[in-house]
Amino acid sequence: MILIYYYMMAVCVAVIGKDNSPKYIKCLDENTALQFHYKVHTTIDIIEEKLNVGNKTASDVRELFLGLLFSAEDHKIFGYATNTKIKFVVILQSTNTLLRDNEVRTIFKKLHAAYANAVCNPFYVPGDQIKSKLFDLAVMEIMGII
Amino acid sequence: MAELPPELTAKPLALIGVTGLDAVNNAIHRAIWDAFTNSRRPDGAPVQFKLLNNAHEFPTVKPKRNSYEWYKLKGILKRNWMNKYLNEVPSVVVIFYDLDWIDPQWNEKKIECSSRVQSLRAALEGRSTKIAVVLVQHSKPVQPGSEDVVTTERATALCNACELPAKSLYVLPHEDHLLRYTSRLEHAFYDLAQNFYHHEYRIVKGHRDQLNKTSHQYLFVRHQFKMGFLNELKQDQQTAHKHYQQAYNNILDIRYTETDILEIKTVASFINYKLCRLMFNMSCPKDAIAQFRAHTDRFKLRTGPKELMFEHHAWMSSQFSTFAELFEQAIRQGLPAVQTQHPGYYYHMAAQHATDRKTSCEELCKNVTSYPDPDPLAGSEKLEFYGQRPWRPGKLNQEQVDTTRETLAIQALQYKEKTTVNHSMIIIGLLGNAISQFKINRCPRMRRRLVVQMADEYYNSRDYGKVLTLLMHMLWDYRGERWPVLLTDVLKKALGAAFLFASIQDYIILALESLGPSNVLSESHQSAIRSNIINILQKKPPNPEPDLPDAEKVSAIEKWMSLLSQNDPFVFTIDDNMATFIEVKARFSQPKYTVNTTVTVEVFIRNLYREIMEFSKLSVTVNSPGYSSEFAVTDANNKPLIFQSNETKTFLCQFQARQQDVGSEIQIRRVSLYLGNDTSCCVILGFTGIGGETNLLERLYPEIQQFRRGLFESIRPVLNAEIRPEESSVNINVKSQSPALLGEWFPITITLSSNESISNAVLTGILQMDGSSDQSTELSLTMTSKQTPVAVEFTSIDKDHSVQQIVYVKAHKVGDRNLVIKVDYSITEQVKCSKELIYTFSVMKPFEVTTQFYTVLFQPLTKGFINDPFIMMSHITCISPWPITILSTSIELGDSIQKEDEEPQESILEGINLSNGEAASEPFCVVPKVGSEQPTSTGVYTIKWKRTNDDSGLETSSSVTLSPLWVEDAVIGLEAKLPAHGWVRMPICVSYFFRNHSDYLITLQLSMEPSDAFVFAGQKQINICILPNDERKIDWIMRPLVAGLVSLPKLLLAVPADEEHKLNKGRLAEVLERSLPSHIYIMSQSQSLDS
Repeated sequence: MILIYYYMMAVCVAVIGKDNSPKYIKCLDENTALQFHYKVHTTIDIIEEKLNVGNKTASDVRELFLGLLFSAEDHKIFGYATNTKIKFVVILQSTNTLLRDNEVRTIFKKLHAAYANAVCNPFYVPGDQIKSKLFDLAVMEIMGII
Repeated sequence: MAELPPELTAKPLALIGVTGLDAVNNAIHRAIWDAFTNSRRPDGAPVQFKLLNNAHEFPTVKPKRNSYEWYKLKGILKRNWMNKYLNEVPSVVVIFYDLDWIDPQWNEKKIECSSRVQSLRAALEGRSTKIAVVLVQHSKPVQPGSEDVVTTERATALCNACELPAKSLYVLPHEDHLLRYTSRLEHAFYDLAQNFYHHEYRIVKGHRDQLNKTSHQYLFVRHQFKMGFLNELKQDQQTAHKHYQQAYNNILDIRYTETDILEIKTVASFINYKLCRLMFNMSCPKDAIAQFRAHTDRFKLRTGPKELMFEHHAWMSSQFSTFAELFEQAIRQGLPAVQTQHPGYYYHMAAQHATDRKTSCEELCKNVTSYPDPDPLAGSEKLEFYGQRPWRPGKLNQEQVDTTRETLAIQALQYKEKTTVNHSMIIIGLLGNAISQFKINRCPRMRRRLVVQMADEYYNSRDYGKVLTLLMHMLWDYRGERWPVLLTDVLKKALGAAFLFASIQDYIILALESLGPSNVLSESHQSAIRSNIINILQKKPPNPEPDLPDAEKVSAIEKWMSLLSQNDPFVFTIDDNMATFIEVKARFSQPKYTVNTTVTVEVFIRNLYREIMEFSKLSVTVNSPGYSSEFAVTDANNKPLIFQSNETKTFLCQFQARQQDVGSEIQIRRVSLYLGNDTSCCVILGFTGIGGETNLLERLYPEIQQFRRGLFESIRPVLNAEIRPEESSVNINVKSQSPALLGEWFPITITLSSNESISNAVLTGILQMDGSSDQSTELSLTMTSKQTPVAVEFTSIDKDHSVQQIVYVKAHKVGDRNLVIKVDYSITEQVKCSKELIYTFSVMKPFEVTTQFYTVLFQPLTKGFINDPFIMMSHITCISPWPITILSTSIELGDSIQKEDEEPQESILEGINLSNGEAASEPFCVVPKVGSEQPTSTGVYTIKWKRTNDDSGLETSSSVTLSPLWVEDAVIGLEAKLPAHGWVRMPICVSYFFRNHSDYLITLQLSMEPSDAFVFAGQKQINICILPNDERKIDWIMRPLVAGLVSLPKLLLAVPADEEHKLNKGRLAEVLERSLPSHIYIMSQSQSLDS
């Protein structure tokens, strides 16, 4: 596998439906995919708490970026939730110390745009798994694989 | 090593020694001791009391050192030092002595007391421990302010004898309020103790100047630690924190080697513990977390010798778990935890390091089989310093290492790690702590993940039963979340555990779920599982799951063999919340069924697995209130229960709707699918009939289900149906002349007819108004007695015959009425039916009665005067749609009103018919007798009437209250007597009567205005006097000049100014106008006569 190091490397990208089941998960290393599935799954706890309307102030109702959800020694997990309760979770490697909020936001914006394009497909039934080449490409770009 | 020593974790309290108290034999002393030790209040001073006997020996004082130049460094922290200051070296020693100021043997006792002080001082030689004396006294204390010369004198003498400063002498009267005195003493001792610790702190601080950084690095740490600890004893947290921080910084400066890394790590963990605890206490949790993070980051790479890698992991694990405990403690004391920062994360990390420890132990210790002799670890309890190796105590890194001893010692440690440590239990315990923390802090998914990890650890420790219990619970949760990869992971683990535990039921449940669509198991694995299911159904042991340890497999297969070789057939039911490869939907063919017809249930079954599956039986359980019954599928014979891949089959289940269920709902409770046969092993799968996945999607995304195509998806489950009674054969016919009139008995004719013979028919009628029964309406069958409800029983009604019943209704209010008519009857003995009908009719008023008042001259009148007759007229307007006949009328006058003539009057309205819009009036001439401030009630008018063209109708009596009228006093009554008409130029005689109704003499100024139409003779102007209750008559003779309706000469009456109080002028004018005629008809003379 040829890796071209992106300025910020995502090791896992996930799209979670409004029913909290995964619609799309891609991990950089398929051998450790299970651990990443568990990690993404457990961050739903924190996302749900953040999305809880009572916890929000008026100013951040429109803010889709949820910020850092979890920080471990080797990676950091960020979250983003659309108005339709679709959640995006991106796991970034912690070794990359140059993590800036704006850059993470850019990643999510790209992901959101790609997702919007994917679900605009008239043959896609909302709630199903996302199977789209273009979405795959967008995710791989975020992960720095291409 | 993993555990922190108790002297470190104990809360540092100032130590205060107590002597001279005989707590065993002397009751007073015991009370005092109890007051100091047991009855401490929570807000008491942070001190610890220790009872010393007189001959107590204190630890010896080390010789004072002037220089550290030749000091031989052997370690960082001495093991006995903290304990010494916590429990052995008191900051204050208090001597209790029984002595009253007025004791007869004062002098002797004074000397004894001072000798005790002296001997104690000798025992404490070299220490700066403070000494205090407390005199236990029986007499009442001296009132403050009242200076007692003896007391002062003797106190000074005692102080001098003992060589004590005056403020170190205390008095304790033990009579009343003992606790108040002890608490005050306690604070006084605490002040002394603080002085002591401050002094000690200064001493340690003084050492600093004699040290240099290159050779005394250990001492820098030691001294800073000591200063921190002494400040903690002094309860100065800020300063303590400062010194611990410096100690920590100093230890980081030490260059470590493999030989002393353990000592450095041990001491660093101590200092870190103290730092974090202080910061939590000082409400700086963020600083504590930052300190801890930095601590673990720094030391996670200082692993120490490779052979003892597990020691490092154990150390890391204990760092995390200790911090988690501190954090938890802080939360218990009120620190708010947040979802992303709570002790659970640290327990989890501790568990992870414990897992690492286990892994490296397994790796490093696998070849160690024996414990070396002689024991290289002997004496580890007696080491002088913390964190040193027992086989080379007190040696520093620069010394030569004895390699053989080292190897043996490592072997000993590895052996101990391998044999004495139960790693799994440590991990499980830590995970358990983490789980409860995540549960508290609302992280259900994290909790589930940890439970799975816990199950992994139970699996490692071969407790498969627990693994199964945990995973079966988690499976349910993960299924709901629909994460295929995670579900598959849990499924695989659970399958393995179920196989090794040889739990048939769990294994079958898991295997059936594994064939379902919601996981990502490989096709080959699924095929293997399918054949295992078939094996078990045929009582053959299943093939082992992949990736199981070989040793375990053998014993598991043996267990399976013995289980399956039992003769009894295995039958078990798997119920709700099961996820399998079969989806079932059921529906009633109609939402309503009539009794005794056939109910049809359609069952749709789909196989989601990609291979053929075969079942043995299918049945449907239907619930109705009170009982449930199971029905086998009716068309199973011609349709085998074999399902191809993705095949959907429809089955019918038919049964008769039962009489008992009439009026209630029946419900499909369960669809049972039998797998295997009854003789060997049978699994009954119970389905709710809603359909699994499809139903879930329906609930989550109801708006987009129309996009999904497919037969199975489009079926809507119908699980409830109503059972209705058969159509009724009875007809109810109701006739009446609606609307009903208010107050009459209104007949309603009810006709029952039947097209088959019925018996025991009971007709009931009840009035309903807005759902509740109605008070203003009466029901009757006879028009005489009131009944609610009315009920009539007919023993039988023959086929095509009818019966009639009249029900009378009397209403007291207008409006609509609902009469509920219900017939209960039986066709045969068993079959009971009923029919209900609601008959609505309205109630109207028959007529309106108004009252009018006129003067005797027939002018409208608004008020009456006493003794002044007037006419009252009742006016009846018919507003009923039906004509009515008035049978009679009568009036009952009010108390203060009388009729003008007392003769009984016959009603002039009797027998009159009134149609809608017609009216009738009846006048009465009445005289009011009493006046009042309020309108006077005039009377009640009663009309008896009936419907004109209804012969059967009874007469109805309606009473109306007539309008009230103002009645006022009148002093003067006037009356004119004159003929009804006159002739032109023919004189007429006119008499006016003036009546005085009062008790006064009344004078009136009377004048007659001249008139063009008359020439008159009589008084033109005169003053008349009327005696009380008398009458005066004045006559005129008038000769009319013109013909027609001519106005009479106007009579004017005036009241003299001095009599106005007797007679109101305005009222007089009113009476005048009302009582006297203004005009008279004058006829012309006949021409013939005239000429």
